[in-house]
Order: sequence, then C-alpha cells, then structure tokens
Amino acid sequence: MKRTVLMLLCASTVFAQSTIPNSPGVKATVAIRNARIVPVTSAPIERGTIVLANGVIAAVGANVEIPAGATVIDGTGLSVYPGMIDSGTNVGLIEIDAIGATVDTSELGDFNPNAQAAVAINPHSELVPVTRVNGVTHVVSTPEGGIISGQSALIQLTGWTPPQMVVKSPAAMHIRFPRLRGAPIVEIPQEEEAETNRRKNYTKELDRLRDVFRDAQAYAKASGARVRRFDRDLLLEALVPVVEGRVPVVMHANQARDIRAALAFADEFKLKVILAGAQDAARVVDDLKKRAVPVILGPILSLPQREDDPYDILFTNAKLLHDNGIRFSIQTADAHNSRNLPYHAASCAAFGLPKEEALKAVTIYPAEIWDVADRMGSLEVGKVANVIVTDGDPLEIRTTVSRVFIGGEEMPMDSRHTLLYRKFANRPK
Amino acid sequence: MRKTLLAVLLALPLAAQERVTLIRNATILTITNGTIENGSVLIRGSKIAAVGRDVAAPANARVIDGSGRFVMPGIIDTHSHTAVDGSVNEISLPNTGMVRIADALTGDDISVYRQLAGGTTTALILHGSANAIGGQSQIAKWKWGRPVSEWLVTDAPRTIKFALGENPKSSNFVPPPGQPKQYPATRMGVEEVIRKSFIDARDYLAQREEYEAKQKRGEAAIPPRRDLLMETMADILAGRIDIHAHCYRADEIVMLLNLADELGFKVRELQHVLEGYKVAPEIAAHGAGAGTFIDWWGYKAEAYDATPYNVALLTRNGVLTSVNSDSDELARHLNHDAAKAMKYGGLTEEEALRTCTINPARQLRLDHRIGSIEVGKDADLAIWSGHPLSTYARVETTFIEGEVYFDRQQDLERRETLRREKEERLKKEEAKK
Amino acid sequence: MRSRCYAAVLLLLAAPLVLADAPGVYAITGGTVHPVSGAAIPNGVVVIRGGLIEAVGANASIPADASVIDVKGAHVYPGLIDAQTSLGFTAAAKDAGEPTPDTLALRTVKLSDDDMDARRRTGVTTIVTAPTAGIFNGQSAVLNLGRGPIEARVIKSPAALQIAFNPRPTWTWPDSLMGVMAYLRQTFLDAQQYVAARELYERSPGGLQRPQENPGLDALRPVLRRELPVVFIADSDTMMRRAQSLARELGVRPILSGARQGYVAPAQWDDVPMLVSVKWPVAPDDKEDREDQPLRVIRDRQLAPTTPAVFAKNGVTFALVSGAAKSGAFFAGIRKAIENGLSAEDALRATTLTPARIFGVDRQLGTLERGKIANVVVSDKPLFDKDAKVTRVFVDGREIRLPAEEAKKDADKKTDATAAAASAIDGTWNLTVRAPQGSESIQVTLRAESGRLTGTFSGDRGSGDIRTGTFDGTAFDFAISVNAQNEAEASDWAFRGTLDGDTMNGTVSTTLGSFAFSGSRSK
Repeated sequence: MKRTVLMLLCASTVFAQSTIPNSPGVKATVAIRNARIVPVTSAPIERGTIVLANGVIAAVGANVEIPAGATVIDGTGLSVYPGMIDSGTNVGLIEIDAIGATVDTSELGDFNPNAQAAVAINPHSELVPVTRVNGVTHVVSTPEGGIISGQSALIQLTGWTPPQMVVKSPAAMHIRFPRLRGAPIVEIPQEEEAETNRRKNYTKELDRLRDVFRDAQAYAKASGARVRRFDRDLLLEALVPVVEGRVPVVMHANQARDIRAALAFADEFKLKVILAGAQDAARVVDDLKKRAVPVILGPILSLPQREDDPYDILFTNAKLLHDNGIRFSIQTADAHNSRNLPYHAASCAAFGLPKEEALKAVTIYPAEIWDVADRMGSLEVGKVANVIVTDGDPLEIRTTVSRVFIGGEEMPMDSRHTLLYRKFANRPK
Repeated sequence: MRKTLLAVLLALPLAAQERVTLIRNATILTITNGTIENGSVLIRGSKIAAVGRDVAAPANARVIDGSGRFVMPGIIDTHSHTAVDGSVNEISLPNTGMVRIADALTGDDISVYRQLAGGTTTALILHGSANAIGGQSQIAKWKWGRPVSEWLVTDAPRTIKFALGENPKSSNFVPPPGQPKQYPATRMGVEEVIRKSFIDARDYLAQREEYEAKQKRGEAAIPPRRDLLMETMADILAGRIDIHAHCYRADEIVMLLNLADELGFKVRELQHVLEGYKVAPEIAAHGAGAGTFIDWWGYKAEAYDATPYNVALLTRNGVLTSVNSDSDELARHLNHDAAKAMKYGGLTEEEALRTCTINPARQLRLDHRIGSIEVGKDADLAIWSGHPLSTYARVETTFIEGEVYFDRQQDLERRETLRREKEERLKKEEAKK
Repeated sequence: MRSRCYAAVLLLLAAPLVLADAPGVYAITGGTVHPVSGAAIPNGVVVIRGGLIEAVGANASIPADASVIDVKGAHVYPGLIDAQTSLGFTAAAKDAGEPTPDTLALRTVKLSDDDMDARRRTGVTTIVTAPTAGIFNGQSAVLNLGRGPIEARVIKSPAALQIAFNPRPTWTWPDSLMGVMAYLRQTFLDAQQYVAARELYERSPGGLQRPQENPGLDALRPVLRRELPVVFIADSDTMMRRAQSLARELGVRPILSGARQGYVAPAQWDDVPMLVSVKWPVAPDDKEDREDQPLRVIRDRQLAPTTPAVFAKNGVTFALVSGAAKSGAFFAGIRKAIENGLSAEDALRATTLTPARIFGVDRQLGTLERGKIANVVVSDKPLFDKDAKVTRVFVDGREIRLPAEEAKKDADKKTDATAAAASAIDGTWNLTVRAPQGSESIQVTLRAESGRLTGTFSGDRGSGDIRTGTFDGTAFDFAISVNAQNEAEASDWAFRGTLDGDTMNGTVSTTLGSFAFSGSRSK
C-alpha cells in the first residue's frame, strides 16, 4: 500500500509536469518575409510575406507592407505553412500507455456520451510539445472504448489550462460502432457455440445502441417542450444535440459490413455523421458518395485488415476518396507519435494522391470537417495565426520545422526529446 | 586473389538457367562506395556482377530502365517477429535458450510480402522478450513463395535473444489466477538469472569433461544428461552464438555489458536500447551494436526517456547503430526511420542510409554478403520510384539473390487474377450447395 | 496406480463373462462380397465360426450348424478401421492430468454403447484410440467395437505413441510451438541417456551411482528402437514437414495424422504413412464472411479433399480416418474424397487393409480372408454410395444389433413430446422360444425410455437384468445372459422383434442358432 502511494506520488511528479514552458503568452506582431508561402487554399507565393498580429493573420502576399514595430524574420530559403491538424489522437489524455494511472482515454461501461475529453486534457503533458515542434499545432483528442466513447475536443497544443487549449468541444460524439467480428474472418472457429454467441452479442449491442438513441430522441422532445424535469439524465442529455443534428457523430468503423451498418444507423436517426477509420472505403465508396459522408482516414501507416487486401490499400484510399469527390482528412489515431501526421499524409501521396491534396488533408480539410475553417486550416487574412516555418515540404521527414506559432504566439522549439538530447550530447565521457 | 577468381567465374560460359539482369540509368546508392548517378547494376545469377557508370548489357540480359529511379540494397531488419507460427515467446521459464525460432517458422505470413513491398529483404527473426534469456533466433531472407527452408540464411551466425527490464521481470504480464509470479521480479533478479545460467553452463561443461576423463581412463561412468539449454549457454561462452539483447534503461545496459566482461561473453547487438544514448561511451567500449526503432516512446515507463536523437548520439559515439522494426508495419518503411536519423541529430544522408543496410548487415555478421551494392555480394536490391529517404518514394521492384520477389506492376496485374480466382472458387462452392 | 488395480479387478470379474459371450456360427449368403484382398465376389458366402472367418468364396460350403443370414442384394465388407479417434476419452478425462509417454489408452478408455453404435452404423468395427490432451497423448490401442470388457476387445496395445504439438497453458513449460519442439528433443535425449545409464548400471551396478527410475522415459525405449511408431498430429504442410524432420532427428518411425495439406507436396511423403482425416474444412455460412476469407483458405478447403486422390496417385501409404469428425460425418467425408478423385476401391482399402498394415494388425484384420478376425459389415448398397446403410455388423464373430437410427430419433421425439408417458412396450411379457429341443418360457418386464429398453427377466434359463436394448415404437431388441449346464455354454440370447399391441414376434439369436419367439402381454 505504502509502496503504491509512493509510486503514485513519484509518477505524478515525474509525469505530470512538462519541463517545457507552454508559451510565453506574447502575441507580438511578426512579419516573415522573403519566404515561400503556402496558404493551402490558394497558389503558393514563391517569395512573399506574412504578417501575424493580435493573434491572427493580418496580411499574406507577395507585396505586403510590414507594419512598424513588427519583429521581422528573414524567411529566405524557408517556407511558411498553416499548422497541421490531426483529426484523431489521444494527446492530452495519456502519458504512458502501460501505466493505467496516466491513461484517461476509456471510461468504464459501453455508453459514456457524457464523457468529455475537454475536461481531462493535461496541458502539461510531455506529449504536447513533442507533437507541436513538428508543426502539428492542433489535434482532436478523442475518448475511446465502449460503444459510445464520449465527446472529443479540438485543442490547440498550447495553453496553461484545459479551457485555454480547447478550440471546440464537443468536436463530435464518438461511437465505436458494434462489430460482428473484431477482424475479418480467416478460418472459421472450431466451436459452433462461440459463433452463435458472437451473433447474439452483436445483435444485443446494436439493440442497446438503438434503445439509447430512441431514449435520447424522446428525451430531446420532452426537453424541447420545456417540461420541467426532476429526473435529469445526464447521459441522455449529452445525446440531445446529437439526435438534433447539432453535434456530429464520428462512427469508428473499418469493415464494410460495419460501415454500412453504421451509415444505416445514422440514416435511421438522421445523424450528422463522419466516418473514421474506413479501411474498407473502396467497398463502400458509393454509399459514402451518395450520402456525402466526410471520412477521417487513418492511421495510414498501418497494416491492411485482410491477407488478400492489396498491400497499399491504406495508402490508396485517400486517392480513391479524392477521385470520388468525398471529403476526407487524416488522423494518426496515436498519441506519442501524433507528430508523424505529415508522413501518414505523404504515404497517400506516394500512392497517387496529389501532393497538394495530401497537404490539405492535414490542414484545410480537417478544418472544414470540424467546422472551424473560418478560423484555421489555411493562411488567409483574418484566420487565427497558426503558422509553421520550415526549410521545405513539411510532409518530408528530412524537412526541419524551425518555428511554430499558435494563435500568434511563438512556441518554444524544445521538447522532452530535445532536452534529453542536449543533456546527453554534453555528457563527459 | 578474389578478383582473379571472379574474372575466371565471369569467363565461364553461363549456366543454362543463370539469369542476367541489368538495371541502368538509375541513381545507385551503393552505401559503401557513394552514389552513382546514371549508373548501372548488373546481376548475374544470385550475385551482383558489376556496378558503375558504364556497364554494357550482355546479350542475354533482361534490361530494366531505371531512369528517375533509385537503387539501394535490400533493407535489413534486425528485429523481426514475422513468419512465426504461434507465440514468439516461450514464457514458461526465466531461461528458454533451448527453444529455436527456426522450429516454428511459417511460409504463410503475408507480412513477408508486404515487407518486400517496402524494400526489406532480410530479417533477424527474434524470440520475444518475456524472459531474461529467450530462444535462439533465425536470420532469414524474405523469399516469399519459396519453401521456408530456403529462407534460412544457413551460413549466418547463430543468434539468441536476451531481454532486460520490464518484460523479463514480468511487469506487464500477469500470471493466470492461482499461478505464482515467475522469478525474477526485479532488474536484480534478471542479472541473477543470466549470471546463474552461465555459471551453470560452466559446471555442465566441467561435468562432461570429468565424464570424458573417466572414460579415457577406462573407468565405468554413467554418461551425464545432455541438456540443450546448457549446451546453448556453453555455445554462447564459446562465441558460437551471438547475443541480441532487448534493453531499455541505462542501468540495465551497463549491467549486461559488465556481466559480459566479467563472465567472458560478448553482446553483439543491443536491441531497442532506448536509453543507449545515456551510456553510449560504455556501449562503444564493449563493442556492442545498437538496433532501435527511432521514435517510439512513452508506451511504458522504461520508454519514457526515449528520444529520436538516440541514433545520432550513438552513432556519434562510435556505436554501430541500425534502425529496426519489432513490427510488421514499421518493417515496411524502415527507410522512414533512416530519414528520421537525419532529422533528429543530423546524420548525413549516407550515415542515415547505412542504418538500415550495411550497419545491420555488420550486426548480423553478414556484411560480406549483404548490406551494400558491391560486386560479388548477393543481389538483394530494391528499385525505388524516388530517393528512398523521401516519404513520397515507393518501391517498384525488390530482388533477393537476383530473383524478383516483389514488383509493383506484377502486383497490380496479379490482384485482378486473384480476385477472379476467388470469385470463381466461391461460385463453384455456391453451385454445389 | 489406483486405476491399475481397478483394471486388474475388472479383468478378474470380467473373465467368466468373456467366455459366456461366445461367438456363433454364421453363413452370410447372397450378397456381393468385397474381400479387399481380391476382386469382389457376386453372390458370395462368408462363413464365420468361433470369432474368425472360416471361409470366403462363391462356392464356400455352408456348415450344417451355421445360422444362415441371407443378405441378397446387399454388400459384404471387412469391418472398417477408423485409425484416428479419441473415442472413449471425454473432456472429463483431462482432469486426470496430462498423459505421459507411459500412459496406456487402454487403461482409461471408456466406450459407451452410444459411441460404439454410432461408429458401427458407419461400418466401423475397429478403432485406434488415444487421448488428445497434452503433448505426449499416450500410447494408443487398436480396439474392436465388440461386446465384453475392454480387455476382450483389444487387438493391439500399445499400437503407437501419439504426439500432438499442443503448447501447454501460458506459463507452463512448454507454452509455445517452438517450446514443444525443444521439449520433445530434450525428452528423447533424456530417454537415450536413461536407457544408456540403466543398461550400464544393470551390467555393473557396483561403484556406480544408481540412475533414477523413470517410467515415462522407460516407455520411450521401444520408440527409440523403432519398434513402436509415433503418430504425430499434423494437419498443415508446414506442420507435417516439421513433424517429419523432427522424426528424422529423433530417429523415430513416424506416422502423420491429419495431413489435410498432403496435396501440397505428395513426393515428400513416400516413406511416411499417413492417416488422412476426412474432417474437411468447411465454408462459413455468411456470404460476406466467405468473401472476406483469404483466397489461401478458400483454395485450401477446396483442395484438401483431393489429398487422398493425390496420395493414391503418388503411391503414398494412407488411411482415411474420421479425425475429430462426428461419427456420422465419416461416410460423408470419405464420399467427398471420392468426389475429388479417389476411387471407391482405394477408399475401401484406405479404411481396411491399409490402416491394418500401418498399425501392424494386417494378419488379423483388414480383409475378408480365412483365419482373420470376423469383423464383417453388410450394407444395402455399395458402402460409400450416397444413402448406403449399414444393415448388419459382426464383431469378433458376434452379431451386434444396430439400433435403427431414424427410428430411434423418432422415439426420442415422441418421448420428448409426451415426457415420461408410458411406452407401448412397458409391462410384463410372457415369451415362448421355439427351440429345436423344445419350447422354453421366459417372462420379461420391460420399460422403454427415450428409445432405450431396460428391464428384468426370469424363467427356465435363470433370471436377471436384461442387457440394455432399444425400442423405436415398433421394433425392439434386447439381450439376456442365460444359464446353461456348464459355464461354457452360458451365453447371450439376443431378442429382436416387433410389437403389435399386446403381442410381439421375432427371432432370438443364440450360440445354438436362431429361433423364433412369440410373446403376449401378461394381464
């Protein structure tokens, strides 16, 4: 017992406090000039200037006047891009996977619509600076587990408190749609009984999910009638904006059978649906097109579900969606390596997706899907100054990100990893 | 001497089935002799026969135009668990050095093909890390479609897996109810298991010697029991088996190296070695190599001090360092990890490429056969659509010993054939119902 | 140890009964005889006496004392041998602990009448059986599915050492496939050392440390000497190759069992006998599941049933076995092999003579030849034809009545429906047997439940419980053990007849011949 307490204490001191300052809190006026500027939503400007002021982008262009008093950065040989957005991570909810005490991703039970990522984000997690120094400035932090996992939050990777970090909450309600099989079948199970039970459980899960949504519809109706309630149900209450179509539902599903079932379910309850995972996108492309369902692909750097699936199927899905005019963005579904988001996107480009589209899939497209394109996702005047400076294409590993601005504040470029590097690079032999 | 022999060999008439392939107009990343723009590689049979700017195509050669393409040696992954039937861990004992991965290989694992599609041609297939001393591992080439017996690199050194830290002390495993925790439960105990195993092996050898002496003297003696575990330990002491040791923390790394010095064995390669950068001089002094995935971190306590700068720091300290996968997924793009060695700590392009080619070849003591594009070496190569350190590059063709085991165009064509076969077979079944 | 004593007691108790159940003299006539050892004989005769086959042929003379069984239009075969079963070892047997090399299947096997009936119905009169638990499953036994105590049914024990590559539960050595391989290697090394040490010690015990006694290792002696073969359970090509190379390494004589993927590389198996399981892989019910499956798996399930034909073509020695299939599936499985290119002759050989040879019992079993054990089955159509039905079964020269399967099912249904309602046959019956030396009277009290018949008898030939019989609503059978002047004449009388309201008629088979009987309900 004593040992456990001690361990917890140690854990909290070691893990909870990042060694990196979050941000200096200065929203200075900054002008980066002579840089290659890639606004994403318009053609790149080979030699231009971008001005950040009061936390927003004040000007972008080839011929921009630099305001007096601005800090001027010479961007010769450098490129400027909008900060990247990871459409699905656990950043902020997890520190060390194997230590349960540091993991806040999965609530108990199957139905947790009232679980909010936004209240459990640890602003001082070491993962925050590790992620942002590679140019990923925003992530959608997502609860997992159960069937209705909870509400995600779109957060910026800086801030002293969770509310300072939250850009949008709920970003969506997340449903791990019930699956008949965890993975596509390979050989049929020896035990017939196991198969019967599997089907029974599957049907039961679907029925329960349907019941919850029916209850939520009824609850919404009653709430709408302004009936004075003495029996508030927080669980159903959390679903009201969902059944009313005000908050989108992210259906996590990969197998065609489950994707179809999830889309049918969304139709049944007239939900605003986003599909995540979607490894079988090719098998359901017509369904997606017909309904204009946005898709969050990823992780791209992951193995195909079936032995017979083409080896590159997860790399080519993006091109397929692009060719069919289906909106998509990319997630890493990772925490510690959300920083590798751009390389997931690049792998799509290696297999046919135009490079500009790969870049959009981690900038303006997620902004659109998360309904924040008015504020971020591109370098446009008036948008929040989420800006990164690089020495080349950020989707290339060999590119170095040299500066990161979030909301106009310049971020320190240190992380746990750079600090450890410096410390031991200087170790006496 | 070697050159003369080669000349003689080249002068011999070609064996009837010896295939000759010339890749030309490509950028050749030789690894050991720089980069050749507009270069050619001539493959004769299973070997590289010529490399350079001006290589004429023999009359019977298949010629591949490599314009805009890059040729690099097949990637070598020194940490694989691919193609193993059943568990990769024999968990039941603290030392399971008697088991052999070679006994449980299967030719059905599709991951092998997927890795070929990522330019990976050779792997060290390791036992898991559940015990301080795990099983004997196996070096194999991914000759997908051939019987597994042909995958084995038979002249490769024997290897064994050691493991330190959280896994062998069962931090992350819980025995089934009713079963006591297995020794050891601390890093102290892990050291004890390894030490005891070597001491036991010495006793075992002494016992055998005594028996043999008695026999020589003509005395009656009961033959001692032959113990496969003790024989493995004795072979390690005799330098006949190379140690690949899974480790994370600085303290355990130093422990193993010191124990090795004390008991007289060598550690060939430290695996994962995420805190290797903290004790890089000590690793270099022992002469151990280091193989690591470059940016995984934080998945358990002993991975919390991991940093992607590890490879650079180790390399700068003179440690022979490779990037490896421990993953069927990562094994498909170890070129990404090599590129990250440039990003994090600034290795040169050539140094980065070495981390997935010649360095692992040296760690496996197979650098006389693989790891670079040199005349006389095995023709294990991949043709890439762009520079392999670019995230936009993909593999077009992969050769092992001169044979094509992956080709993107063939793959695209075969998809349709396989789809049709499946459809027909299912239809046939349907009809019978 | 305890079970050994128990078996010995059983043996003592059972001895008189064995003698009591003496086989009769039969002449099976009118059918097409398939002796396997030669061409089929239309309208042939098979004469059975004293448990052995006395004569086979078109013109074999019918002894005067034989009960003549006319099977006109039917087909007569040697009883089939199912050379890979775990019959008689239930899951509960696992509680007894994992078997070891010295575990004799014979000691723990428990054959129920239902199990045996189910096999006999598919023409199987002989099985090879062993437990399935553990790595060393134990030493299998060749058993006849006849009557009497287990000792009376043994053809050969031990038949083979059986080894399965079953990892033990996690945290118990060995808990992985590669661990199992190492474990087997080490065990056989230990056995060699054990044998050497003991021999040395036995030669000159003075001045040497006494080696420990180890029954498990001791049991491997005949295996090391290649006298006792080893059955390795191996289904896939990879597993089969693993087993083969391990057998070579250990110097043991392998038999491979399972062998589903034998079609892959038949040339590999020219010196390894195969027990090919006809439990073929099946397709999932769900269409989407079928489409999800890898082509590799689909191909395999379509090619697996070609293994027997491929083996036949390549001269591989193979038997067809039911494997873990339900008994009824044995014929269906064999038929599938035939549909996939195996000839019916080869199928028959693979279920009679070949398994007998593989297990070294071909002097006693496997064909219809004079002097062989009288295991004979009769079927209404050629044995492996669709809808062929086994109509009569003789084991060790005794006819074993087959409870009619369909009728039995109906009876089950009926009893299910009417719960414990009285059956039409329930009650006391006065039977008259018209034997040549005069009529004999026997009173029986019967009760049927779920198609099973129980009860008591008393009369001229003594009294006691009837041996369990069957009743399907009309037809019934049961047997009684009757007294005689001396022990040797004591025997079973097997009644078989039909019920018609308050009367019943039929025949009773005895060692003296078959006689008619009639009965009426006692008021």
